[in-house]
Amino acid sequence: MLEAVTNIPYPHWLNSGDNTWQLVAATLVGLMSLPGIAVLYGGLMQRKWVVNTMLMAFTGFSLVILVWVLWGYNMAFGPFAHLGPTGSFWAGLIGHPHPIVTHFGEQNQAVSGANTLIPFHFPTSTLAYFQVVFAAITPLLFLGSLLGRFKFKAWLLFVPLWITFVYCVNAALIWGGGFFAQKGAVDYSGGYVIHLAAGVTGFVGAAIVGPRLARDKNHALPSNLMMVAVGSGILWLGWNGFNGGDPYYAGVDASSAVLNTNIATAAALMTWVALDMLFTKEHKPTFLGAINGMIVGLVCITPGAGWLDGYGSIICAVFCCTVVWVAWNYLSKVRPFSKVDDALGVVYTHGIAGFLGGLMVGLLADPGMIQYGVAGKVYDAAGAFSVGGWFYTGSFHQLWEQFLAGAWVIIYTAIASAILFYIVKFICRGLREKDEVLEVGDLAVHDEEAYPRETFAERVTSLSRG
Amino acid sequence: MKLVVAVIKPFKLDDVKEKLKGLGVQGMTLTETQGFGRQRGHTEVYRGAEYEVDFVPKLRLEILLDDADVAGVVDGIVEAAGTGKIGDGKVWVLPVESAVRVRTGERGSDAI
Repeated sequence: MLEAVTNIPYPHWLNSGDNTWQLVAATLVGLMSLPGIAVLYGGLMQRKWVVNTMLMAFTGFSLVILVWVLWGYNMAFGPFAHLGPTGSFWAGLIGHPHPIVTHFGEQNQAVSGANTLIPFHFPTSTLAYFQVVFAAITPLLFLGSLLGRFKFKAWLLFVPLWITFVYCVNAALIWGGGFFAQKGAVDYSGGYVIHLAAGVTGFVGAAIVGPRLARDKNHALPSNLMMVAVGSGILWLGWNGFNGGDPYYAGVDASSAVLNTNIATAAALMTWVALDMLFTKEHKPTFLGAINGMIVGLVCITPGAGWLDGYGSIICAVFCCTVVWVAWNYLSKVRPFSKVDDALGVVYTHGIAGFLGGLMVGLLADPGMIQYGVAGKVYDAAGAFSVGGWFYTGSFHQLWEQFLAGAWVIIYTAIASAILFYIVKFICRGLREKDEVLEVGDLAVHDEEAYPRETFAERVTSLSRG
Repeated sequence: MKLVVAVIKPFKLDDVKEKLKGLGVQGMTLTETQGFGRQRGHTEVYRGAEYEVDFVPKLRLEILLDDADVAGVVDGIVEAAGTGKIGDGKVWVLPVESAVRVRTGERGSDAI
């Protein structure tokens, strides 16, 4: 009888609150991709590219999930392959490419170098799903640079390769307990692993793939600003899961991360609007400018959402947004930026904002912001985990570690992505659709269009393509 | 028979329609259209990039009339559609060879 009363339907290591929040947070992050990025980018692109944009988003997301469970998760977050002596760069580079799709793989307690201080309160399937929605949004972000000319076949091949050889490496080094993690570099939710890497890959890819048609560039009017509003809103509120899920416990720091994310985003959005009103030729506030500011705010607070306090969040957002605004309006006019057709400007709003946000952690992280207590210690006493920036510690040590990790992400991602683009170019006989396809857009690539007109269409009895 | 074609500012449609109904006009065809004359267009800014939009949204009215009614209707349109500002539009008149009412097969003036 006693046993029946005390029985719980899950293992002793599982905490239902932590597991619930982690699954909810993961789902919020997933919504940022589908439909968030799909309709945001679809709305920003011309009418003729909406279907292509959305299908690339949905297929990219699907491919990453499959790669992740079959080999990616364990490369990034599993036990290290130890390719060199303990403590060396090679020892902390990458994990074994093992699948996690067995009953044990999915249902055992999550164990990962992502957190060795206290045990996870949920199974591997929760951690793997939480991590995969981050991996899956990253190619969708750099997709923004390649839109309007990238070959669909090349996309299907590039995404799995990039996740395997770029994302998993950066994630293992910085998040999975690898070399940079051991050195002390931190990235709360992916300012480096996700946004900086996406910005760099998008820029390198745009340079290698080549520009859109000149006509498309000169007529790049967005197809639907209301869809941009829908996608952006989902992105902003979905980010509560993005940053709020990263302490891995539904505790105090999850709450701080959510609040700081919203503080920074509000501050950055208002900064961009103010800069538009003060310093553009027209002196007018624009909705799409506000959305750029919103994205910069979300991205720049991502590397430190639970380590900066509220004041730090405001300073970080105003500073990063101002720099990105200047880059967007002026840096874009000088080489190499003026020569590369980064269709939606990913290198600015994700690349520069992610890098600056990561450096801001080294300056503004408040050691009083405790991410979590440590096993065997009192929650907020010595031993609790937090990060100290120069403003509080007077030391540039953390800034230096942040800089090294950021420099690694830029250099490695640029080189590895370039190699992968050239491999795919060779296999697919080119990365850019032919000009006659580009002139037509969605109809030429997919036989579908975003706003079909029923008036002029008639059903034929059998498929004309045989 | 004549065909009166008028290109007008969209927000003037109600005034023009009421005026023509008052003059006894039985029907008209309306098309949303774009055009420019001396008014030229405007500038739009998306994500910091400026675009010249030469063509301005307009409405195009087509009205089939007996010769005798043309002068009154043209005057009515000009009066109702005018604001005195640049971009008020244009009215022009074309000769029509024949017309048929689809339902009854009536021809010529009877079809109007």
